[in-house]
Amino acid sequence: MKTLSRENLNLWLDGLAAQQSLIAPHLEAQGVFYRPVQRAQEIAWEADRPALSAKEFLFPPSERLLKVEKRGPDIRLEVSPSAAPQAIFGLRPCDARGIRVMDAAFLETPPIDSQYASRRENTLLLGLACRSMGASCFCTIMGLAPDDPRDMDVMFTDRGPTLAVQALTPRGEALLAGLPIVEEPGEVEPASRREVGGLPTAEAWKESFGDARWAKHGERCLSCRLCAYVCPTCRCYDVRDEALPSPPGEAHFERLRAWDSCTREGYRLTAGGHNPRAAAGSRLRNRLLCKFVYYPHQYGPAACTGCGRCLDACPVNLDLLEIGGALQEAAQ
Amino acid sequence: MSTADGADPMYPLLGRLVSSRDMGREIKLLGVKLLNGTQPPFPAYAPGQFAFLSAFGIGEAPFGLASTTERGEVLEFAVQRLGSVTTGLHELAEGDALGVRGPLGNTFPMEAFQHKNLLVLGGGIGGAPLRPVIHSVLDHRQDYGQLTILWAARHPSLLIFRDEYESWRAAPHTELHLTVDEADAAWDHHVGLMTDLVRQVAPSAANTVAITCGPPIMIYHVDKLLSELGFAPEQRYVTLEARMHCGLGKCGRCNMGELLVCRDGPVFSMAQVGNFLESYL
Repeated sequence: MKTLSRENLNLWLDGLAAQQSLIAPHLEAQGVFYRPVQRAQEIAWEADRPALSAKEFLFPPSERLLKVEKRGPDIRLEVSPSAAPQAIFGLRPCDARGIRVMDAAFLETPPIDSQYASRRENTLLLGLACRSMGASCFCTIMGLAPDDPRDMDVMFTDRGPTLAVQALTPRGEALLAGLPIVEEPGEVEPASRREVGGLPTAEAWKESFGDARWAKHGERCLSCRLCAYVCPTCRCYDVRDEALPSPPGEAHFERLRAWDSCTREGYRLTAGGHNPRAAAGSRLRNRLLCKFVYYPHQYGPAACTGCGRCLDACPVNLDLLEIGGALQEAAQ
Repeated sequence: MSTADGADPMYPLLGRLVSSRDMGREIKLLGVKLLNGTQPPFPAYAPGQFAFLSAFGIGEAPFGLASTTERGEVLEFAVQRLGSVTTGLHELAEGDALGVRGPLGNTFPMEAFQHKNLLVLGGGIGGAPLRPVIHSVLDHRQDYGQLTILWAARHPSLLIFRDEYESWRAAPHTELHLTVDEADAAWDHHVGLMTDLVRQVAPSAANTVAITCGPPIMIYHVDKLLSELGFAPEQRYVTLEARMHCGLGKCGRCNMGELLVCRDGPVFSMAQVGNFLESYL
């Protein structure tokens, strides 16, 4: 295995932070979050996966699509500038997969979403293996592992005084060139795994459409959308125009897009105000079936990484594993 | 977003409102011409497709294209004032600038419809995306069989394209049947729901394709009735809608099961969406 001393890694990260935005797990008042850091010393090393995913750095909660300037009868449209380079260090496998899942919709299915593409091209994914699975983690069900290096540019595994390092992409290889990397005998020790239940097959999820339990789950669901906002793959969005301060005689606006979720009550309204998903249960069903049936049908990958954040976030303890587990039992 | 030619399909083309005509109560027919300049022209489009209109500063919403490429370069949209964007579009004066994005979505398979009888069922503002079908048939009358138009609204003041009914009726092998839920003093046609009219006209399913657009509840019950009249799922077409935000298969707003109205539709046959129709209600 290839290793890098912690001291050299920190020096390298300090150098990266000087050149571009460096995002890494950081201890905040309410937990550990991916945040811009100035120096390697600020990184929270001991944490489990951060409380929120890294989604916001590729697909921000709110972003400008367009600026509109009206001057009398004339209208000028201005597109947003391209993204600045950034590196995400300490990225967990579930969150790298989340980015990979968004890639499938925004990059790999035409047309390309240019704002997402600009951020993605300018973002380095520097992974850090989880040592074990957290209390609500179920990445192994989704075909991942706590130390899964796929979807990363570079993967690090913390071994105390040294870190094992593996480049996964040409970009990652170029990044590591010139670093004092040492070849050590032996293999990287795999992360510990925990036995977690199972989830239904895509077919069984699909067949659950008429299951009466969705209405029961709907009685609990508050349609608060927390599950979607903490989800590394939920990528639905709303678009609206907002007024900006304008000089006299002019009117300036921006067209924004912002995170939205299919569990929101008015999400699926049609033009006349009709709501095909007026019941909370039908919206919850749509969100989960999207993860395992609709999203794979449209874009390829399943839209769940097993990060378990929706389990932690739900104020009424609706649990994807419980809901899915019951359906799986019924299907057998 | 960008396409192969580098253009960003979320970036609207600038157009000017060249006409804004009252068609019914709170319903206007908007005529839009794209501005010349550096922008690419609006591509050729086909019946069934839609486009987004921007009332800048208020927002953007999708509308079925109510015109055909063949009849001229002015893009026409029938817009009923229902929310903030449609109000913004209604308040634009002729000559004002607006944004246009499109054409988007799939099309009615007009070639496959050739030499077939067509049954066109439009309810309220839902008739707008069906007008290009009617115009295409009338402009190539010999290519299609009998054209039967069933046109409905809640009230006579909400009927759209009234000034064209005479020319529709005058075309060979073409019938127009009208109904309203609630008549006024001047009304001398059928009174009742679209389903009553379908029962009365009792169209034959033989070599016929039905095309329906209207409010979800109408689509659902009309479709059930057509099925009873012997129309197979493959003979029953609908065009659906949602308050979508991109029209490009990204924003997620318009899914119907695993299908996206914007990318897989808005035109569907019941063979594709029949199972979902109940959940669309």
